[in-house]
Amino acid sequence: MINKLISGVIGFFTGKGFKNYLKSLKYSLYLIFHPFDGSWDLIHEKRGTYAAAHTIVILTLLTTIWDMRFTNFMLNGTRWSKVNIIMQIASFLVPLGIWVLANWCLTTLMDGKGRFKEIYMATAYCLTPYVLIGIPMIFVSNVVTMEEGVFYTYFNIFALIWAGFLILCAMMMIHDYSLMKGLGSTLLSIAGMAIIMFIILLFFSLISDAVGYFLSIYKEISLRIG
Amino acid sequence: MKKRIFTILLLLCVIGSTVQGAKADSDWYTYTYNFWGDETASPDAYYVSNIFYGPNFGEGVGTLNDPESMFVIDDLIYICDSKNNRIIELQYVDDVFKLIRIIRTVQVSVDKADQMKVDKGDQVVLDFKHPYDIFVKKIDDETRKKVYGEYLGELYVPTSEDLEKAPEEETTEDGETPDGETPDGETPDGEEQSASADNAEDAEMTTTEAPDAEPVEGAEDGSEDGAEDGNDSEPVDGVQNDVREKLNRDYDLFIADYDNHRIIHCDYNLNVIGVVHNPVDETLKGEYIFLPSKFVVDDAYRYYVQATNINSGLMEFTKDGTFTQYIGASPVTVTLIQRLWRRIQTKEQKKRTKQYVPTEYNNVTLDEKGFLYVTTDSISDDDLNKGMAKPIRKLNSMGDDILVRNGNSNPIGDLKYYGVIGQKDMEGASAFVDVVTFENQTYCCLDKKRGRLFFYDFQGNMLYAFGNAGMNAGCFSKPSAIGKLDEETLLVLDRKLGTITIFKMSRFGQLVNEAIGLYRIGKYDESADVWQEVLKYNGNYDLAYVGVGRSLLRKGEYKEAMNKFEVVRDRTNYSKAFKYYREQVVEKNIVWFLAVLIALIVIPKIIRWILRIRKEIQEA
Repeated sequence: MINKLISGVIGFFTGKGFKNYLKSLKYSLYLIFHPFDGSWDLIHEKRGTYAAAHTIVILTLLTTIWDMRFTNFMLNGTRWSKVNIIMQIASFLVPLGIWVLANWCLTTLMDGKGRFKEIYMATAYCLTPYVLIGIPMIFVSNVVTMEEGVFYTYFNIFALIWAGFLILCAMMMIHDYSLMKGLGSTLLSIAGMAIIMFIILLFFSLISDAVGYFLSIYKEISLRIG
Repeated sequence: MKKRIFTILLLLCVIGSTVQGAKADSDWYTYTYNFWGDETASPDAYYVSNIFYGPNFGEGVGTLNDPESMFVIDDLIYICDSKNNRIIELQYVDDVFKLIRIIRTVQVSVDKADQMKVDKGDQVVLDFKHPYDIFVKKIDDETRKKVYGEYLGELYVPTSEDLEKAPEEETTEDGETPDGETPDGETPDGEEQSASADNAEDAEMTTTEAPDAEPVEGAEDGSEDGAEDGNDSEPVDGVQNDVREKLNRDYDLFIADYDNHRIIHCDYNLNVIGVVHNPVDETLKGEYIFLPSKFVVDDAYRYYVQATNINSGLMEFTKDGTFTQYIGASPVTVTLIQRLWRRIQTKEQKKRTKQYVPTEYNNVTLDEKGFLYVTTDSISDDDLNKGMAKPIRKLNSMGDDILVRNGNSNPIGDLKYYGVIGQKDMEGASAFVDVVTFENQTYCCLDKKRGRLFFYDFQGNMLYAFGNAGMNAGCFSKPSAIGKLDEETLLVLDRKLGTITIFKMSRFGQLVNEAIGLYRIGKYDESADVWQEVLKYNGNYDLAYVGVGRSLLRKGEYKEAMNKFEVVRDRTNYSKAFKYYREQVVEKNIVWFLAVLIALIVIPKIIRWILRIRKEIQEA
């Protein structure tokens, strides 16, 4: 039984699937330096895997949390007594999901070639610079003084700009857009995100109103009867 | 199931963003703010030692009616009992107040009366209408003569009727004898006039320019009252000074006689020396009425007056009452959008929109070094949110704000001013009405909104705050003034309750004071020892950690210092300590660092070399 399990595990790690996964994960390093070729091949040459995309998303999430936890207090203002870890996770994953949704909705109308899953995968791969720069910067933050801390800030900003640029390139490639169309669709997707958020908020406030209404009816009736 | 979790997550998102700020519990009385701006309970820095009502001061005082101001000099306390038109002079002896006298009038000597264009008998009595503020200055006869000239002219001689109706007046006469004995006491009018010619001219100018000028009217009122008293030979309550005890002090009294539009300057025996009234300036429109509310007199005998309806800062007067300039007006910043918006507005709209005018001060205090502390309670929410609000300012002689604001937050009083108390009128930023400064450059601001006192050190760090709105001991309803009897005793005047609350410093407060004092004179290590003591009383006292940390830093114990600074999240000091600590660590382990560095360079090369050799061997 145990033998089987061990051999199974070994088989998994030495198997073709895992090798493929590692290869696709390593492909992210190629993508970040070759945004156009990289993201074209990612989709059309099937260089990327969803496992790798999930891994990068999880790593990005971990980076944001590690950044809060391990960055020196001089350079970050996390107040742990007020942090809700579920909220932290949600505040990263929900916008990501809404971005993919909004972009997909929009590009479907704008002759985009990309599919929902592909948009997700490309976006995930484009977050790689954030992880690659963010994690070393957490270490750096603990060996610098406040004056040298500007490097930390600048590098993190640089990582974000890089990731943003990659996303823009990826959107152009997977949807087969020109530069202007890619830029326009990205901006419109951001507007779409806002609209989706608005609808969600509206939905919840309506629901809570409705619940409140029925609750008050229930209260009224129970008071009358009782 | 997955969908449900997602829904819950989203719900959390929505709810989490709307709920903010925990409700402050009010179990504590004294509190400090931590790095995050949360109230932290603290041991009491001051405790209520006693509360006095008007009747406690002595017989015949009665309740105080809207006392606006209070002045403490040495052991004497002057209270402006404004709505009762009187000033109460008290002495604080053995923890009790002793009534010295109730001042309702001051006298003007003959030629002074002439100067003021009042010719009524031998004496002119000026009474008060809503005295708003009083300032008392130590000055002996010699300096007074040097500064103000031969001010008294002929002696004020009370008439026989006066003596009959008020036996207390006799003591006043006795008090004046020393003045009378001065050799130049009886110089003829001419000389005296020249000595204070400026003043006379000033008075003349105002009278000719504006015949209806208030001070003259006021003076006449006063004299008429006096005359009436004389005729009726019946003491009318309200215009009689009530002297209980005779003291001899080298003090000069300055009284802001608000509704008579003047500031009266008189000596301790209430003989008028000078009067400041009707400032003459181009900026003041024709029908301007001088309403002096709060003022101080500095070491050069200049007046700094905050007058109602003046928002260009403090009015500066020379010692003889000539208006010279405004100082300390807060600069007004109008954004481009506001300016553009104003351009397209109609006249009606312009009238209705908020005026962009400098804030009007509501009080002015002089500190030991001669700097002016001014307070204001008109602060816009916009400024508060931007952190630009300056409800308290320290002005130098140029009128620039030189208050040091190095604390975690600026000295604005309460940092949480909404949704804390729950009553609508209790919300909003703290409204400072008075300041008192201490020897070690700490100062205390009085908040009339929530009846609180806020203490700040010379760097702008908040030391502690206490007080509340209410009727309990240590709470205030409408506090109006604050004063200090000595470094450890505070007096707070409540205008609505008509009380004086006496606060005494606790051991904790004394320790904090001591630590700050030691730090200021450069005894850092001794200061740290005291801070250590403070921590025994209050383990949440941020300044104490910084104080101890600073001393450790100076001793070279960087790691420990870093720990102290990290507790209170003092970034600047932590960074300083860390810099030295890093240096130390690198110096100690320089060999290892070099070894690792060399290894990092060499090992890959070796590996590559080995691989190459292997490859060559294989190929061969």
